[in-house]
Amino acid sequence: MTDASKTSHGSLFKKELRAVGADHEQVSTFAAFRATLRRDLLIALKRRNDLLNPLMFFLIVVSLFPLGVSSDPQELTRIAAGAVWVSALLASMLSLDNLFRADYEDGSLEQLLLSSQPLYFMVLAKNISHWLISGLPVVLLAPLLAYMLYLPADAYWALVLTLLLGTPVLSLFGAIGVALTVGLGSRGLILAVIVLPLTVPVLIIGAKAVTDASLGLPLGMHFSLLGALLALSLSLAPLASAAALKISVN
Amino acid sequence: MWQWFFRLGSPKWFYEMSGKWLPWLFVLMTALLSVGIVWALLYVPQDYQQGDTIRIMYVHVPVASISLACFPLMAVAGVITLVWKMKLADMVAKCAAPIGAWFTAVALATGAIWGQPIWGTWWAWDARLTSMLIQFFLLIGVIALRSAIESTDAAAKACALLSIVGAINVPIIKYSVEWWNTLHQPASNFSMAEDSPFGPEIWVPLVIMIFAVYCFFVISLILSTRNEILERERRSQWVVDLIADESTK
Repeated sequence: MTDASKTSHGSLFKKELRAVGADHEQVSTFAAFRATLRRDLLIALKRRNDLLNPLMFFLIVVSLFPLGVSSDPQELTRIAAGAVWVSALLASMLSLDNLFRADYEDGSLEQLLLSSQPLYFMVLAKNISHWLISGLPVVLLAPLLAYMLYLPADAYWALVLTLLLGTPVLSLFGAIGVALTVGLGSRGLILAVIVLPLTVPVLIIGAKAVTDASLGLPLGMHFSLLGALLALSLSLAPLASAAALKISVN
Repeated sequence: MWQWFFRLGSPKWFYEMSGKWLPWLFVLMTALLSVGIVWALLYVPQDYQQGDTIRIMYVHVPVASISLACFPLMAVAGVITLVWKMKLADMVAKCAAPIGAWFTAVALATGAIWGQPIWGTWWAWDARLTSMLIQFFLLIGVIALRSAIESTDAAAKACALLSIVGAINVPIIKYSVEWWNTLHQPASNFSMAEDSPFGPEIWVPLVIMIFAVYCFFVISLILSTRNEILERERRSQWVVDLIADESTK
């Protein structure tokens, strides 16, 4: 190959690059964020099982507590807050697996990594859509299950509010673990081993808030701590997930 | 200024230098350990409340303090791995994880043996015990992730990232657990005064033991890092030469 043909090939490639680049510049980060969110929500809505499974899992785990502990209302009242919170934690952990996997398998995750958009917002969009699909229904179902465990009536609003603040933190932390393990053959258990210890603060604060609410204690501190955790994980966790995705996909 | 830093990153240089450090470290550790153990077990006066069980402290506190240093060490090594892509940092991080898990387990076990006579129970869901247990889980997570990823390079980066995330989380976990429950005696303040219940005749042997166990930690870390270096660099010429030399001896 002569030098001339090389340069002509090179310049052609550069032109193509510039054309692609120009296309990308027209898409604002916000538009890309919205498009990713919309796409993920649409895909999830078309797969009903993914919507139902976390809910069913949540329901089954909560109903195991009376079977395993006792049917005595007083005893159940005492463990209700913790039982609902632990079950919500496990449900959000199990639903995490399909956060990046389908995209990894069909290659669209690679496209996302190659795009010129900041990966932080793309990962955040995936996180938000995942939480809307699998986290929010769990939060909404929680009061019903709390009723089955005889949670005192004063604590319902605290349960819903702490879950609303806490389950996004669980998904955000979990996403880091999913991103690290997305390329591995068997993920289920290793994901739980990595992520569960990280979720301890959320569980402690959330369950204690519900318990304290049923005792009529002030809750300002609990909510501020959960809010702080949410703010911290919203700003840092997608960065870590993005870095982890780059490591796993490369 | 950065030259020494990058030279430190060369596995070959580290292997040669650590070979020179090791005998000195062994001597130092043996001296500190024999003085510390004899002093702590035979000459430290009995505690007015806890009697002879106070002597468990001379193993428990050093081991626990070093196990706490393990996560920051892995996180710093992780940053070096991700930023400067230094292989040696990852080898150290890989070797530090199981050693740290062991130290955490020993701290939990000695704590249980100490807790039995003093609190009347082997295990309590007290803040410090619980946060040690969760640190143990975090270390197990890093080890599990390392063994699950086949490619050495990807495992290095993934574990580096997880160590950094874990290190950011460790203080949050610690404070949330403390807020949740506290039974453990607060860390005592050292005092120079002779009449203080925690005077020099108690804490000097403790400091000696802490240094001794630190030496032990460093020696274990260096030995296992040297193994790791030989394994990963087994195709490079200097390792081949080294093994040829060893076998002709």
